[in-house]
Amino acid sequence: MHKAWALVRSNWLAATSYKLSFMFSFGSLILSVVPIFFISGALQNTMANVIKGQGDQYFAFLVVGLIALNVVASAVNALPSGLQTATSTGTLEALLATPTSISAILAGLSGYEVLLSLLRGFVMLVAAGLFGAHVAWLQLGASIPIIALVILAHFPIAIVVAAMVIAFRTRGPLPQIVMLASTFLGGVYYPTTVIPGWVESISAFLPLTYGLKALRTVLLEGRSLVAVWREVSILLGFTIVTLAASAVAFRAALGYARRVGNLAQY
Amino acid sequence: MALGSANLRRRIVIDQSTIASTGAIAFVNSGVSSSPAVVLRGLTKSFPKQRGWRAMFSGRAPESVRALSDVSCEVRAGEFFGLLGENGAGKTTLFKILATLVTPDSGSAIVGGHDVLKAPSRVREVLAPVIADERSLHWRLSGRENMRLFAALHGLRGAQATRRIEELLALVNLVDAADRLVSGYSSGMKQRLLVARTLLARPSVLLLDEPTRSLDPISARSFRQFLRADVALAQGCTVLLATHNAEEAFELCDRVGVLHRGRLVATGATPELAREVGEDRFAIWIRPADQSAIATLSARGVVREVKVMEDVDGWSRIECDLRGGLDGAAEAIAFLALRGVSVARCEPVKLSLADLLERVLARHANA
Repeated sequence: MHKAWALVRSNWLAATSYKLSFMFSFGSLILSVVPIFFISGALQNTMANVIKGQGDQYFAFLVVGLIALNVVASAVNALPSGLQTATSTGTLEALLATPTSISAILAGLSGYEVLLSLLRGFVMLVAAGLFGAHVAWLQLGASIPIIALVILAHFPIAIVVAAMVIAFRTRGPLPQIVMLASTFLGGVYYPTTVIPGWVESISAFLPLTYGLKALRTVLLEGRSLVAVWREVSILLGFTIVTLAASAVAFRAALGYARRVGNLAQY
Repeated sequence: MALGSANLRRRIVIDQSTIASTGAIAFVNSGVSSSPAVVLRGLTKSFPKQRGWRAMFSGRAPESVRALSDVSCEVRAGEFFGLLGENGAGKTTLFKILATLVTPDSGSAIVGGHDVLKAPSRVREVLAPVIADERSLHWRLSGRENMRLFAALHGLRGAQATRRIEELLALVNLVDAADRLVSGYSSGMKQRLLVARTLLARPSVLLLDEPTRSLDPISARSFRQFLRADVALAQGCTVLLATHNAEEAFELCDRVGVLHRGRLVATGATPELAREVGEDRFAIWIRPADQSAIATLSARGVVREVKVMEDVDGWSRIECDLRGGLDGAAEAIAFLALRGVSVARCEPVKLSLADLLERVLARHANA
């Protein structure tokens, strides 16, 4: 944990050494709430019926969906891109030569981006609150384990993609497939109930579907974690099964890379 | 003499068992004996060749390139061991195997008593590669922050980490620049920081892969002095240095091994190896270039492998092996003077890697 945190800290220091860029990224985030506010306002009457049970305001519904989507994007992409950067800059070889476990290196390489996406999510939520989003602020604490589970449920996908990067120097199509499916079928812009027939069944295999339902129930309806135990259990089960499978894939990729000699090659 | 040291009285013997098992000529330095820090036994590694599109879909197994072939040797604790070889000789592959980044196809590598295949994490605790690539530093962090990160990765914390970082920054003379971003460092400073970073965990075995390749000659010389005095001697590390610079290996190393196309073709104490393969090489400036006089010297066995290198203002520069080193040189000069040939200068020739390899390979073939 200490080693992973040291890596996260160094990534934070490196990112904040570009001070202006860092400040602009947060400034633009706050500004991005403005068009969401107006578009969701225009669609409020149309969406009011279909979002029942997940908050009564489409603006808040949309903001929570976009925050979760951004967190998922960083959970899926942070590790492979961190690994690619570390490989191309040559820092990966130095990291692998230290007595640091692979899990600590993976957590350390992706941790900063994931934590940053959470911070950005919080800033966006506060900005949305200032624009009048109906958020149950007292339930913010209860949303933390849900968002943590959403991240953990997507981390195995990141590990499989990282395995591809380690073994074959490519991310493959998996991140795009996951992000595309999550964006259109995970309930970001509309509830999954409005998706027609057989396509809706795909959304049942997406962790974001359950994560978003749980998040909105807690954050927008103001209900407790007990009310979303089913969604939380599914996310937990998904995480355990896929984490074990991804660990096997990553171990195999590592062995392959050590055999063919491209572990720290760019 | 540039390549030898007269006060060394160590005897060179040909180790028949090493020749039998590895094919390498071993110049055994019988004056030193200590426990091995690194033991290589029959280390072999091949890499698959890059395939074209047609070959990729043909279903045939990819061809492979042999990077290391049956490499065996021992490096004793506290030794500064040089690994000499041209590009592609297998030096980096050998280092990557030792650093547990590449697995060998066969054979074994033991570092500090730990097998690189069976106990890689133990190996990483005792061995540290100095990754000479400056890009492996975090350029947007200060020197001190780079050190802090790697101190944490080596399990150092709190006051212990701070003390060690300050100690090493002082050792590499970077205290004043420690809070500056690494992107503003010169190449020499970055190389020193890379070494300091590696020393954080007090490794007992240090791997240096061409550490001076990006340095200018003056910085390279001072960096070599730093490696010898402050790293190898002061820290008590066993150092393995990979280089294709013969001069660097002779200046720094107690012993060297010569890798050629993945094979360790010779190992030996540096002064002896240098003397054996190159100390009797001289350049003589004569006028006129009396071919018959040179032929006579050659027939008498005083000179061998004569090459007329250049002609400047009537002076010919001749490179040759002189039997008996300085005594041979005196004999040759006296003979040339008797034949009315003027000798302007006679000096030992510094051995290039190409010369060294050529000579070692010739001896290897003879053995």
